[in-house]
Amino acid sequence: MIAATRPSGRLAALTVPLVLFLALPVVVLVARAILGGGLPAALGSRVVLDALVLSLTTTAISLGLTLALGTPLAYLLARRSFRGSSLVETIVDLPIVLPPSVAGLALLLMLGRNGLLGGALELVGLSIPFTTLAVILAQTFVAAPFFIRSARAGIAAVDRDTEDAARVDGAAEVEVFRWVTAPLAGAALAAGAVMSWSRALGEFGATIMFAGNVGGRTQTLPLVVYSEFGGGDLDASIAAASILVLAAFGVLVSVRILHWGRALDIRGG
Amino acid sequence: MTHRPIPLAVALVSILVIAAACSTVGAGSRGESVAADPGPTAVLELTVFAGASLKDALAAVKTAYEAAVPGTTVTIATDSSATLRTQIEQGAPADLFLSADERNPLALVEAGLADGDASAFAVNRLTVVVPSDNPAGIASPADLARPNVTIVAAGDEVPISGYARQVVARLASLPGYPGDFTAAYAANVVSKEANARAVLAKIELGEADAAIVYVTDARASEGVSAIEIPPKANVMASYAGVVVRTAPHLAEARAFLDWLAGPRGQGILAGFGFGAPR
Repeated sequence: MIAATRPSGRLAALTVPLVLFLALPVVVLVARAILGGGLPAALGSRVVLDALVLSLTTTAISLGLTLALGTPLAYLLARRSFRGSSLVETIVDLPIVLPPSVAGLALLLMLGRNGLLGGALELVGLSIPFTTLAVILAQTFVAAPFFIRSARAGIAAVDRDTEDAARVDGAAEVEVFRWVTAPLAGAALAAGAVMSWSRALGEFGATIMFAGNVGGRTQTLPLVVYSEFGGGDLDASIAAASILVLAAFGVLVSVRILHWGRALDIRGG
Repeated sequence: MTHRPIPLAVALVSILVIAAACSTVGAGSRGESVAADPGPTAVLELTVFAGASLKDALAAVKTAYEAAVPGTTVTIATDSSATLRTQIEQGAPADLFLSADERNPLALVEAGLADGDASAFAVNRLTVVVPSDNPAGIASPADLARPNVTIVAAGDEVPISGYARQVVARLASLPGYPGDFTAAYAANVVSKEANARAVLAKIELGEADAAIVYVTDARASEGVSAIEIPPKANVMASYAGVVVRTAPHLAEARAFLDWLAGPRGQGILAGFGFGAPR
């Protein structure tokens, strides 16, 4: 084991190209944002700031929805075996492999003006597509599965005897979860929440299809990257992209430092 | 190994914070779609969906209009007119739709989604643009059909593409242009972008040798050089606007469109190279 920590020359030569290929584009992007002065300038730009505020607000809400509704579902999938549970698991996993543009189109066909529920929603005066609410729903749709998967695995790994011991001591089911299961599955829950949040922050395809691209209302940071690139302000595009790179980097670093990675299987050990 | 219950506490706190935030955001988006009486002191927000080529001009229009009509905020969203029309058809809460053609607003009128008729507010013409250093040495539109010239265009449904197709067809019939000009031009197209401004951006970045864009785009950009299309082959792009029937602010949207077609609006548009409607 210890002798194998130094890679041989040939192995290193085989791995270096891919590592460089993965790293260099991102490094160039961030370097250009900082050295070119675009990042400080764009942080004073209305478009980027509006998008940053919108991104932080909408991802906070979609994360809240994911935690509030995803935790019971993850518990159910981890602890109860029922007819159709594998079908539910497949449904939950589907958005992970589904192209986001497909998710956006599907949401529009269900909740849009001409969608399945559009007429009913209009009756109560609610029009969802192309609003901030649509941004939140798009994010929740694509990001919730990341939390549910991680939480399900974490909860399933908690020793049932420990939970039973608490029950014997008279703890109610909610208390068992609160004081035994959740703390023991804490790393998996936290890692799932962080990964889910970062997926929501990066959401693009479903958002632009279902929520459109209006500044201050539905234009999140990834949409600024796209719009300003198309709209000619490359500096703003690069600045918004850099913020997303730093956020993504922060997510991965925190997952490592706080030892949550085991739950996600993104750490070697 | 001890596991601290901090993540759960964090999760619970965030749910509370979020639940509070959710109610305000939800109320905000409902308020927009229901369009309750804003009251005398409320700021009225007018949402304008506009073709991408109008981006710079409308930024100036926004500033002037907000100064001229206090209490009004104009929010502008630009993209391909075809994309925006689809979004409006699907329920996007726009008050006004300003299109780079007449076809897309007319489609909304025919679908019963417009309040009143579409009205023309500007005209535009087309030009060839190349990066400032002109790497392919394009000297005339005829060079667009040369082998190994890379051209970016917009998607087939984008208005600029309809105009560009007419220009290419007219060029092909001019003396001095090869018989296979149309096919050779099409073969040189390496990308079809989402809207007219995305086409311009690719030329500014030097990622392609040439493109056909609006003269207003060429004028707005510092990174490109324009190569004139012979007047005989050029076409006139007529821009039309329409008030969206479900607009939260019908009267104010109509007033904005009238203002744009009036002397103040036309003065600003002319400053960006747009012509007066016929």
